[in-house]
Amino acid sequence: MRAPGGKDGLVAGDVLLAVDNVSLSFGGVKAITEVSFDIRKGEIRAIIGPNGAGKTSMLNVINGFYHPQQGRITYKGATRQKMRPYVAASQGISRTFQNVALFKGMSTLDNIMAGRTLKMQGSFFWQLFRHGPAMREEIEHRRKVEEIIDFLEIQAIRKTPVGKLPYGLQKRVELGRALAMEPDLLLLDEPMAGMNLEEKEDMSRFILDVNNQYGTTIALIEHDIGVVMDLSDRIVVLEYGRKIADGTPDQVKSDQKVIDAYLGVSH
Amino acid sequence: MFYREAGQYKTSYAADMAIFPIRQDRIGIAVILLIAFVIIPVFGNQFFLSSVMIPTLVFSLAAIGLNILTGYTGLISLGTAAFMGVGAYACYKLTSWFPGVNILVWIIASGFVSAGVGALFGLPSLRIKGFYLVVATLAAQFFLQWCFVRIPWLVNYNTSGAIEVPERTLFGVVITGANATPTARYLVLLSVVAALTWFASNLVHGRVGRAWMAVRDMDIAAELMGIRLLTTKLLAFAVSSFYCGVAGALMVFLWYGSAEPEVFVINQSFLVLFMVIIGGLGSLIGSFMGAALIYMLPIVLRMLPAALGLPIASATVEHLQFIIVGALIIVFLIAEPHGLARLWQTGKQKLRIWPFPY
Amino acid sequence: MNILYALFVDPWVQMGQAPDLLVQTLWEGLVSGVLYALIALGFVLIFKASGVFNFAQGIMVVFSALTLVGLHEMGVPAFLALGLAVAVMFVLAVAVERVVLRPLVNQPDIILFMATFGITYVLIGLGELIFGGNPKRMIADELYLPKGAIDLKILGGFVSLQKIDIAAAVIAAVMIAALAFFFQKTRIGRALRAVADSHKAALSVGISLNQIWAIVWFTAGIVALVTGIMWGARSEVSFSLQVIALKALPVLILGGFTSVPGAIVGGLIIGIGEKLGEFYWGPLVGGGIESWLAYGIALAFLLFRPQGLFGEKIIERI
Repeated sequence: MRAPGGKDGLVAGDVLLAVDNVSLSFGGVKAITEVSFDIRKGEIRAIIGPNGAGKTSMLNVINGFYHPQQGRITYKGATRQKMRPYVAASQGISRTFQNVALFKGMSTLDNIMAGRTLKMQGSFFWQLFRHGPAMREEIEHRRKVEEIIDFLEIQAIRKTPVGKLPYGLQKRVELGRALAMEPDLLLLDEPMAGMNLEEKEDMSRFILDVNNQYGTTIALIEHDIGVVMDLSDRIVVLEYGRKIADGTPDQVKSDQKVIDAYLGVSH
Repeated sequence: MFYREAGQYKTSYAADMAIFPIRQDRIGIAVILLIAFVIIPVFGNQFFLSSVMIPTLVFSLAAIGLNILTGYTGLISLGTAAFMGVGAYACYKLTSWFPGVNILVWIIASGFVSAGVGALFGLPSLRIKGFYLVVATLAAQFFLQWCFVRIPWLVNYNTSGAIEVPERTLFGVVITGANATPTARYLVLLSVVAALTWFASNLVHGRVGRAWMAVRDMDIAAELMGIRLLTTKLLAFAVSSFYCGVAGALMVFLWYGSAEPEVFVINQSFLVLFMVIIGGLGSLIGSFMGAALIYMLPIVLRMLPAALGLPIASATVEHLQFIIVGALIIVFLIAEPHGLARLWQTGKQKLRIWPFPY
Repeated sequence: MNILYALFVDPWVQMGQAPDLLVQTLWEGLVSGVLYALIALGFVLIFKASGVFNFAQGIMVVFSALTLVGLHEMGVPAFLALGLAVAVMFVLAVAVERVVLRPLVNQPDIILFMATFGITYVLIGLGELIFGGNPKRMIADELYLPKGAIDLKILGGFVSLQKIDIAAAVIAAVMIAALAFFFQKTRIGRALRAVADSHKAALSVGISLNQIWAIVWFTAGIVALVTGIMWGARSEVSFSLQVIALKALPVLILGGFTSVPGAIVGGLIIGIGEKLGEFYWGPLVGGGIESWLAYGIALAFLLFRPQGLFGEKIIERI
C-alpha cells in the first residue's frame, strides 16, 4: 500500500478533512447542529457521544451519503457542500458500518475484491474473455487482496460465504473490504460493537497497525471509552447533535461537560 | 471415490481463480460438450432435437439473461418476453434490409438492439427499487407488446402480422426457414448458446459480476465503496436484455420459423422467471436445469398418462400442469430457495467426502 | 406542427366541444378506477400485515368469482353459492397460511413474492380443472344486482350511467368503510395494525401471527370476491381478467404499498387517466394504448415521487 504523505501532497499533521459549521436535519428533526472539527493526516480521531448524538449521521455526511443543509466540508484542500458517495469513495474515503453491511451472498475473497472495484478499470471487452488484460488485472488485485487477508489473519475463511461467518469475523472482513480501497481516510462505525474482550483486542491491534504501517488516517466511532482513550490521538464529543468537547483523551476526560453527558446531570 | 480434489495443488492465482478449479469438473464439462456437440446430433432423432433440445437451449439462454438481472443484480423483471420480442423483430428487420449479411451477425446485432431498449427501461431503476421496479418492467412488457401488434412496419407489412423467417445459409448449409434440418439448427443454436454462456460465466466471475452482486446484496454499501449504482444496474439491464434478445431471435429463427406477437406475451415472461427460480437465482448452470425442467415437464406430463394407460383428457393434463408447476415453485422455495443449482452443489459436496457423511 | 396540434390542443378542444362525452368518459374511468382500487386494496391489506407482495390477488378475484358462478351452474342456489364461495376463500386463506406462509417465515421478500406466483399457477390450474376455462356469465340477476342504465340529459347531450356501475361504487364505498371500522375499532383490527408495524413486537405481546395472516388473507379473499362479482357483472368471468388485474400494480405505485386511501385515490387516477388517454389520445397512435398507459402514468409519477402519493419520505439508514 502507500507510505504517509502520498499523492495528495499532504504530510502527517496537515488538516486532511475539516468539517465547518455543519447542520443536518430530517424533516423537523435535527440530527447535527452547527458542528465543526477537523481530522489531521495520520491521526486516529474518535467521535464519541451518547446514543442518538449524531455520530453515524456525521460519518454519513463525510462520505456523501447525507447532504447537510448548512455548512461546508473541506477535504484535501477542496471545499464542498454536497458530494456523491461515488466521488467520496474515488477520492479515498472508505468506511465500515455499524450493522455489518457485507455482501452476504459472496465469499470473503469476493467481498474484499469488490472493495477494489474502483481500482479496476480494465475494459469490458476483455472481461468477456477473462483472459489477457482482464486476467492480469484480476491476478494483480488478487495479490493485493491476499496481502490484506494475511494482514487480518483471515486466510482460513477466504472462500467462505460471509453470511455464514460469526459476527466478529464479519467485522474483520468488513475492515478488509474498506482497506482494499487503499483509503486516505478510513471511517469506522463502531468497529468493536458486540465483540468480546479478545476480539476487541484483535480489532484494536488491527486498527493501530493500519494506522502505523500504512499511515492511514482513521476516524472512528466507538462506545467503549477505554478503547477510545487508548487508541485515539484526539477525540470529538457530540451530544444531541452538538459538539460539546474536542481535544486529546486527557483533555476530554477531564471536561466537565463530557462528564455530565456521560454520567448524567439534570439539565 | 472418483470425485476427489486431494492432491490437486494450485500454484498460481490464475489456477485458483479458474472457473472450474477441480480437474473432475473440467472433465465433466468436456464430456457434456462432447455429448451435446457430437452424440446428440448423431444419435438424437428429429423429434428429440427440434422439440426438446432446441427449445430447452433457447429458454436456457433467456433464463441466463433474466438470471443476470434478477439472480445476480437483484432486480426483478417481468419483461423478459418483451425483450425477447425486441430481439426477434430486430433480427427480422435487419435481415430483410441486408439479406446478404450472414444471419448470425444479425442475431448478435439484434441482441444489441434489445440491450439498448433494455437499458432504456432500466433507467427508472436508479430511483425506484424492489417491487416498484416490477412495474417499470411491466410497462416495458405491455408497451413493447403493443408495439409488436400495432406497428406493421416491424413485420414488413405482412398481412399475417407475423414474422415469416426467410431462408438463410451458413457455410452453404440452410439454417433458417422451412428447409433447414433440425440438426443444422440445433448445432448453430448450441454454438451460440455455448459461446454466450462462456461469456456470461466470465462476466459474473470477474469485476462486473462482483459489482452486480454487491448491488444485489447491499446497494448502499456498494455505493459507498465507489460502485456506481446507475452504471451497474444499467449494465445489468443491457447485458440481460442482450441475452434475452438473442434468445428471442434464436427462438423465432431457429425454432418457431414464424412468430406472431402472441409469442411474446407476459406468460412467457413468467415462464422464464420460473425457470430462474427453480433453477437457482444467481447460477448459470441452474438456468439450464430450470429451463430443462420447466420446459420438459409438460412434455413428460403429456406422455405420462398414455404411457401408464390412464384415460386422462389432454385438457385435464394441461390444467394439472399448471397446478404441478405452481406447487413445484412453492415446494422449491420452501425446501431449497436456491433451486436446483444448490441441490447440484450439495450433491457434489456429498460426493467429495463420500463415503463419509462429513 | 400538425402533430403538436393533434397532441396538445385538439384533445382539449374535443373535450370542450362535447362535454357530455367528456363526462361519460370520466364516469367510465371512475368505475374502472373503483375496480382497480378494490384489487389494490386486497394487495395493500396483505402487504401491510405480512409484508408479502401478493401477486395472486388478481387470480383470487377470478377464482372467487369462478367458484360462485361455477357452483351456481352446478345447481346450487345463488345465495348459497355466495356463502360457499366465501367459505372457499376462507379455506384458501387458511391453506395459504399453513402451506406457504408458515414454512417461509423470515425468508427474504423476493422469495415470498415468488411463492405467490406458485399460488397463482395452482389457482389457475384448479379453477380450470374444476370449472373449465371458458368465460362465464356472472349471476347478476340471481344476486339481485341492478341492471339497465340511467340516462342523464345534461350538457346538451346524454350521459348514460349503468346501474351496475353505480352499485359497484356504492358497494365498494360500503366495504371500505366496513374495513376501516374493522381496522380501527375491533380487537383483531388493532392486532392487525400492530403486526403491520412490527412482526417481532407483535409476537412479543402475544399476538398470533399465523392467525392474523389467515384473517388478512381471508379479508383479501372477500375483497377479491366482491371485486370479481362486480367486474364479472360488467363483462364476464374469465381468466383474461387476471392480466387486467395486474393494473392494480401501477395503482399501488401511485398510492403507496401500505396506504388504503392511497389505493383508492390511485385507483381513480389510473382509471380516469387511462380512459381519457385512450379516448382522446389513443386514436393518434392507432388505439389500444389502454394496455400500457397505466404503467406509463405510474412510471412517470415514480420519477418525481418515488414514495407514492401518501407514502412517507424514505430516509435511508445504515
